[in-house]
Amino acid sequence: MKKQKPVLCLILAALLAVLMLAGCAINGDKDSSRPAGTGSSGSEEKVLNIFTWATYFPDDILKEFTQQTGIKIQYSNFDSNEEMLMKLQASQGGDYDIVLASDYIIEMARSQNLIAKLDSNQIPNFKNIDPSYQSKFYDPNNEYTVPYSAGVPVLIYNPDLVDFPIKGYEDLWNPKLKDSVVLMDDARNVVGLTLKTMGESLNTTDPDKLQQAKEKLLTLKPNILALDYNTSYQKIINGEASMGYMFTSQAATALLANDKLQVVYPEEGVGFGIDSCFIPAKAPHPGNAHQFLDFILDPQRSAHISEQTLYLNCNAAAAPYVEQSSLPDAVKRQVLTIPDDKLRSAEFIQDIGANSSELYQNIWTEFKQS
Amino acid sequence: MKPRAKIHDRRKSLSPAVIPMYLWTILFVAVPLFYILGMSFLKKAETWGVVMEFSLESYQGIFNPAYLKVFGQSLLIALLTTLITLLLGYPFAYFTARLPKKWRSIVLLLLIVPFWTNSLVRIYGWIILLQGNGVVNSALLGAGIIDTPLKLLYNIGSVLTGMVYALMPFMILSIYNSVEKMDWSVVEASRDLGAGKWKAFLTTTLPLTMPGIMAGCVLVFVPSVGLFFISDLLGGGKIMLLGNLIKNELLSAHNWPMGAALSIVMMAVTLLLIYLYKRVSGEKSLEGLL
Repeated sequence: MKKQKPVLCLILAALLAVLMLAGCAINGDKDSSRPAGTGSSGSEEKVLNIFTWATYFPDDILKEFTQQTGIKIQYSNFDSNEEMLMKLQASQGGDYDIVLASDYIIEMARSQNLIAKLDSNQIPNFKNIDPSYQSKFYDPNNEYTVPYSAGVPVLIYNPDLVDFPIKGYEDLWNPKLKDSVVLMDDARNVVGLTLKTMGESLNTTDPDKLQQAKEKLLTLKPNILALDYNTSYQKIINGEASMGYMFTSQAATALLANDKLQVVYPEEGVGFGIDSCFIPAKAPHPGNAHQFLDFILDPQRSAHISEQTLYLNCNAAAAPYVEQSSLPDAVKRQVLTIPDDKLRSAEFIQDIGANSSELYQNIWTEFKQS
Repeated sequence: MKPRAKIHDRRKSLSPAVIPMYLWTILFVAVPLFYILGMSFLKKAETWGVVMEFSLESYQGIFNPAYLKVFGQSLLIALLTTLITLLLGYPFAYFTARLPKKWRSIVLLLLIVPFWTNSLVRIYGWIILLQGNGVVNSALLGAGIIDTPLKLLYNIGSVLTGMVYALMPFMILSIYNSVEKMDWSVVEASRDLGAGKWKAFLTTTLPLTMPGIMAGCVLVFVPSVGLFFISDLLGGGKIMLLGNLIKNELLSAHNWPMGAALSIVMMAVTLLLIYLYKRVSGEKSLEGLL
């Protein structure tokens, strides 16, 4: 073999490694380590193990809780609901004291007896919760969950760039929007909005209807500037996209940068999801967990949380405090509260089983590379 | 007669110095590969993870027309990326290698330094350059060359730009390495025997630097099939590469066996292409890579 220059080889290897790592960095920035301490029952040690997405509970709220109660918080992250369920199954409902996750996965966890019933006496602030966010399919009698925030995808457009009225999803197909729409990069939501324009449910599993939706969706491609799950609001802010479909929290970020933007709750009906807290069946510190739930349901604190996360608040008593906050009116009126009639027409995106999910994914793949 | 000193046979004894290399290869190459291979024959579980049950479902799933199109598009982009980096990289590497020694290291350093920054950051840099109100459009508008901003982002062109940019050093360094250690007396001989500049280049320099070209092509081609973040960011999620498909199967669809099967097929296709090239060209310079 010819002699290679070792330095060059090393440089090449290092470059390759850096490039690969960078790819991982997009999704790998969240650490999902297990909590270390599992406490003894009886006299509870001053520890609370929280398990949710990174930064979903604001830091200052957690600090305040520790200061007031002396309970140390151990925060573990997951990247997806499914990952959470797997870990909860592995620990048989132990290890964690508070889990904050999405509606459909809570239903699965509950059907597997991984969730403990709440003791309502220990959560006096439960009365603050807006009834619109209660008694949902995953917890019809409000025995297991405390709703934390709601995710509703909305249309947002720049009136300087769009010269016709926007009422609903159907307007996305308007030829005037050629190459100027940014949609969230998500199969269920975008195939779902297409189904809505056909008068179908977001959870349709009928293959014929899905086939029709696919054909309709493919005709939307010329209008698509980009598909982007996490930073679509930037394309609206810098004017590259004139219209977008994104979660209210992202629309809020766009509104903070440009308060002339208009938010539309589509007339065909909005999609809907609620993230709720629950206490796992064998939580090591259920007492601390109840204390924490009551703590975050305090109206002022709850308002403070939604000012930071910019998610729809499920706490009715927090509304006046949200109204008083220093956020621009456009944000407070358009995306931190949702009109009641719109909320009534909202439809959950529910679990539809592996086979139907795959149909949605296939439509999505075909749409993306068409 | 004095016995001759025993000559240490290097090939047969296992020097302790190579143990780390074996460990590394087994732990970080062999084990993950077999893990992926094993995973690709399992079944997806309903909510999360896999069922320990042999199945060819994932491999059958690959013949989905939408997936085959992704394969086609990926290979096309990878080929174009390789071709462009070769055309731009060869002259760069050739002239760098012919510079005086002190300049050579400066040029190489300049080539490498930007790559000390995270490549994601540099790809975002391209977005800032190319976006609607970005640097390029502002300059063109200001100079009066265009009236309305050009849509430079979120198409195949911008993905290719990003790929070429990210992978260029691999091509340049490989070719540079070949050119630098080339025996120039061969070129002189061909000139003495009456070959013109181009003929001498084509008959001596090019074949002599073929190992570098091939190594560069492989080093560029293989990653360009999988660099999903470049097509996600610069292609606006509209350009699907094999890498994006694998990422989607793993992270969005939670279908690990499918992701594994796609990875295996990607590796197989890449190996096949290299093997075919070897057979067709009789090129021996890839021995180190295969």
